[in-house]
Amino acid sequence: MSEMSAAARFTFRGRMVCGSFTEFALHRARRLDIEIDVGACDADAATFRVRGQDDLVDAFEMACSLGPEDCIVLDVERS
Amino acid sequence: MRLEEGWVPVALSSSIEAGTSAGTVVSGSEIVVWRDTGGTAHVWEDRCPHRGMRLSFGFVRGDHIACLYHGWQYDAAGQCRYIPAHPKLDVPQTIKVPLYRVAEKYGIVWATASADALLPDLGADTSIAPVRSVSIDCPAAAVQTELGLEGPAAVITLDGDTLLVAVQAVTPARTCAHVVLLGAEPQPVARQKHHAHWAEALRFRLETTSEVA
Repeated sequence: MSEMSAAARFTFRGRMVCGSFTEFALHRARRLDIEIDVGACDADAATFRVRGQDDLVDAFEMACSLGPEDCIVLDVERS
Repeated sequence: MRLEEGWVPVALSSSIEAGTSAGTVVSGSEIVVWRDTGGTAHVWEDRCPHRGMRLSFGFVRGDHIACLYHGWQYDAAGQCRYIPAHPKLDVPQTIKVPLYRVAEKYGIVWATASADALLPDLGADTSIAPVRSVSIDCPAAAVQTELGLEGPAAVITLDGDTLLVAVQAVTPARTCAHVVLLGAEPQPVARQKHHAHWAEALRFRLETTSEVA
């Protein structure tokens, strides 16, 4: 990765199945060449810390806001 | 035969002109066969890593193919090189299309996912004239049995000519037979037409048989 310009903490809120949502996020992070730390996850929210190129972190947010088919994301908090 | 098992015929070479692409299926796996403007054939998974659009609907530009949907461009190694919506992005190496080994022999494009499979050796690869590819609604085994083929690709003698018939299993119920004329005379148009009609008759016979069965 030539440019590590963005770091962000995401909390995705909604109806979560932790196993599938975390697997989905890890897959998208790998595809987008993003470093990711998995934080807390329960039936209502999942948290990740990520680091990567600006545009790819944005793409990660967009991908996870859609989520896997057994989860519904209602709100995204980025800090 | 699946792509993991050996070399599979996926198109007549003459069907994939330089700068064009076409989609096909091998044992249920969707693939794109495309030829760059330099003449090299490529066989990839027919799916853009971005949103899953078929790359066979895309555009060939030089030695790149661009997805129809959002214009993501991939080089000959399957690596994404350019994303129009993010022109300054250094595209990560992880955005890549799975690709297959490709060879062209006997006027046919062959592909495989096997690292050590050997191409069929059916004699001299000279004086080849394409006849046609014909899609048949029947299992691949039925085509092989009907023609007495000992493998997915074999040479037969028909009406004084030597034909190579290469069988592509598309699905369990659909087959594509690629037919070429070996040892063809110069300007073999009449023989090509003759054997194209034979291939169409073969399809009619097999599909009629499967309907009756």
